[in-house]
Amino acid sequence: MSSPTTEQGDSIEPIAAGDDRVSGGVAAGDERLAYRGVFQRLLVQPEIGAFIAAIAIWVFFWSVSVPFGKASGASSILDVAASPLGIMAVAVAMLMIGGEFDLSSGAATGALGIVLVLLVRDVTGELAGAGFNLYVALFLSLLAALAIGWFNGAMVNRTSLPSFIVTLGTFFILRGAKLGFSKLIVEQIQVGKLDDLEIFAEENGGDRGYGFLSKVFAGEWNRNTHIWEGRDNVYIIAAIVGFALLVLGIYELNHRRGKGNPIGYGLFLGGIGLLIFGVLTLHNTDDISGNRLGALLMFAGMLVGLVGWSLARFDRNESTGFALPANALQMLVAGVVSLGLAVFWALRLDPDNSENISWLALVTEQGARAILFMVFVCAGAIFLLMAVNRARHSSDTGGSLLLALTGAATVAMAFFIRSESGTHKFRTGAFSALLIIGGLIIVWSVTSMLFAKRNQVVPGADRFGLTMIVAGLLSLIASIGARLLWVTQAELDAEIPRTIFSVRILWFIAFTAVITWVLRRTKFGSWTFAVGGNKEASRQVGVPAGRTKIQLFMLVSFAAWLVGILLAFRLNTIQASTGDGEEFEYIIAAVVGGTALTGGYGSTFGAAIGAFIMAMAVQGIPSARWNSDWRFLFVGTILLLAVIANNYIRAKAEASR
Amino acid sequence: MSTTENSATPLLELEDIGKFYGNIIALQGVTTEVLAGKVTCVLGDNGAGKSTFIKILAGVHQHDAGEFRLEGNAVNFTSPRDALDSGIAAVYQDLAMVPLMSVWRNFFLGAEPTKGVWPFRWIDKKKAKSIAKEEMAKMGIDIRDTEQPVGTLSGGERQSVAIARAVYFGAKVLILDEPTSALGVKQSGVVLRYIVEAAKRGLGVIFITHNPRHAYPVGDRFLILNRGQSMGNFAKDEITIDELTQLMAGGAELEELEGELKAAISGP
Repeated sequence: MSSPTTEQGDSIEPIAAGDDRVSGGVAAGDERLAYRGVFQRLLVQPEIGAFIAAIAIWVFFWSVSVPFGKASGASSILDVAASPLGIMAVAVAMLMIGGEFDLSSGAATGALGIVLVLLVRDVTGELAGAGFNLYVALFLSLLAALAIGWFNGAMVNRTSLPSFIVTLGTFFILRGAKLGFSKLIVEQIQVGKLDDLEIFAEENGGDRGYGFLSKVFAGEWNRNTHIWEGRDNVYIIAAIVGFALLVLGIYELNHRRGKGNPIGYGLFLGGIGLLIFGVLTLHNTDDISGNRLGALLMFAGMLVGLVGWSLARFDRNESTGFALPANALQMLVAGVVSLGLAVFWALRLDPDNSENISWLALVTEQGARAILFMVFVCAGAIFLLMAVNRARHSSDTGGSLLLALTGAATVAMAFFIRSESGTHKFRTGAFSALLIIGGLIIVWSVTSMLFAKRNQVVPGADRFGLTMIVAGLLSLIASIGARLLWVTQAELDAEIPRTIFSVRILWFIAFTAVITWVLRRTKFGSWTFAVGGNKEASRQVGVPAGRTKIQLFMLVSFAAWLVGILLAFRLNTIQASTGDGEEFEYIIAAVVGGTALTGGYGSTFGAAIGAFIMAMAVQGIPSARWNSDWRFLFVGTILLLAVIANNYIRAKAEASR
Repeated sequence: MSTTENSATPLLELEDIGKFYGNIIALQGVTTEVLAGKVTCVLGDNGAGKSTFIKILAGVHQHDAGEFRLEGNAVNFTSPRDALDSGIAAVYQDLAMVPLMSVWRNFFLGAEPTKGVWPFRWIDKKKAKSIAKEEMAKMGIDIRDTEQPVGTLSGGERQSVAIARAVYFGAKVLILDEPTSALGVKQSGVVLRYIVEAAKRGLGVIFITHNPRHAYPVGDRFLILNRGQSMGNFAKDEITIDELTQLMAGGAELEELEGELKAAISGP
């Protein structure tokens, strides 16, 4: 109580002064918020880690196994990824974002399949059942599914127990009920067969909806009966267009719009022409000089095209000056040394032996050396990229030059692998892939030296760039689709295995799309994030937290119903143990896809990618001729890495946006 | 104790409000009023009954004695929703926000604007974002990116989101529970400015704090609580900040403490 007047003055002062400081502070804070480039913005998305991991794992298995990259391999990966895993993982991810778990989800898939089969079986037949029309049975089993979900949700709400405990109870109830009722009603631990309805139809007329519904739930596309001679042209053109759009979209997002020079468009078209010519040259030859010519043409095409495009649209880069900090230099040396060691080890591979078994087989001495080679190559690439990153902090030009060097190293490795590897896959596949990547890196570094980067948000350019990226991705998907769904006569003559794509994949895609839309765009999606992130807070502002959670549990059991139906139509006979224990795989797929175990953060699209990663492990390990027991080791490692990566990304998202 | 004669009916009038838990008297004899466009400060040390007071106003608890009038009519809220529907919004210390969700999603949480026809009804993101940005700007805060998670905002900015939200959703009376207690000097200044801003826009504000130096500059009326009892209800011209501080801490005790401290400092 020393001096009232000054105290009073003091206490008013912060507000009055605060006024200026605050408004000034906010404005300054705005300016201090650095513009986040396209790559930084991408990095805080929850699914991006999973996406990169999926590509890396695909490349890994592609390089170690022969059937992996083929259409037959793709069909089985898609099938495993789609159902039951993918559909369930997407629903479970949604529930986990809402802050809950459902351990009964695996058992529920089998249980609902059994319910469906029992409902359509004949009462008078050898095996008992209700004898309903299939449509009625679908409806009734859906009701049963929603009841399971409602029960789980209501129990969790009412008891306030962790959902782990409640659904563990439901899991055992379902498991016991499946066994008990199967034995009680059909006196077996399996119920079937759904396709008896076809026999029933022949005898009595009227198939109770089986004919149509079996197409809906278990339709198939037999690739080998769909011949399309023009496929390769379409597929290559769609791939080039898609790739080009993707790259141009990224350029659009990354560079500053400028006045531009219309000559650039001419150069751009010329570059495209060169690129196509190069790809065709490369595609039509397996001889080294042809390869080199094709590669050169492609590189020239990319360089001319992208420089032209940039010239036409973007500002020139005014900043000059070159500096290379010592720590970047260290990394550069480390990278070059690693690549050198890789070459040294590869030369010690015995080329006579390398054709017997896939290039990276774990068991042989050759395989060990091959792995060492890959380790050195990866280390080299990482060191070089770190050098680029460090150099960029002191000067853009230095970073670009080092990046060009990295690209050149990639090209060199491509030619090295091309000349040293014994397998066809590496001689053509890896060679062209590495060549394209290396070429792109060089071109990118050249254009980033010449043209200025964006440093502010430009809504028009952002929209244009994103549209191009989306169009590019669609074109790439169309390209892959054409390649996967149709055969050429030449392939048939080479007696490729029968390859079938199931309608389950479409169900999976549709389900993922709808749920992702719901999560991102609707009230319910917002509330899902809210009840998972802070249940009390969301309740205080009027979100019906209890109802939202019940609906989430019902969504999971709806997915279990869908999967149960798909299983019933696919297998016709369902074991009492079907689905038991799979709930953890759904959770793992969701977590790998970027969903936080603590709730409030995640992505259903990521969960779909997580399902792909799991499916690749399931299919890749046996096709690499390893014992499939290794699968769990692989899955466990992926899970740990995913959790660590997710924590990191989430911390970034929370702190540095 | 005098009530300023005012032609307008006060938004809120409290007369001899009391609350008992069994034989424990949590609050007794509390009288004050909240006028539109004015700030009523509720001061009290820890355990003075401030929380009970807010909870009665916000409909969490019901009062056991006295009368609670909203725009002249006696009311008795049975739930927070009740109070909210009558235009009394409370911004609690924990703020009722989801840290990982973006500013605009938090702003509209529970009342998202939608478009489209059921069941294909989706959030009108564009509208929600622009309204959120606009409303925040009216409070004098320029959020650059409404997509940024609330968890990345500073304490003062979070308060402003909560206040702007309450104002936008039609609150007539805004109750702020210790909004400055966890903030630094500068951030507190920011929040105090929002309080003035909200009052300027015609809301009646109830500002609960234990810091008279925060209360005095913004307040128009002061209610002092101590151990569940009202120590007085003053208009600004009836009291100085020193008297306020003294009353709040139970005057005599503080003087005694001051004497002891002086003795301790001057040493043996």
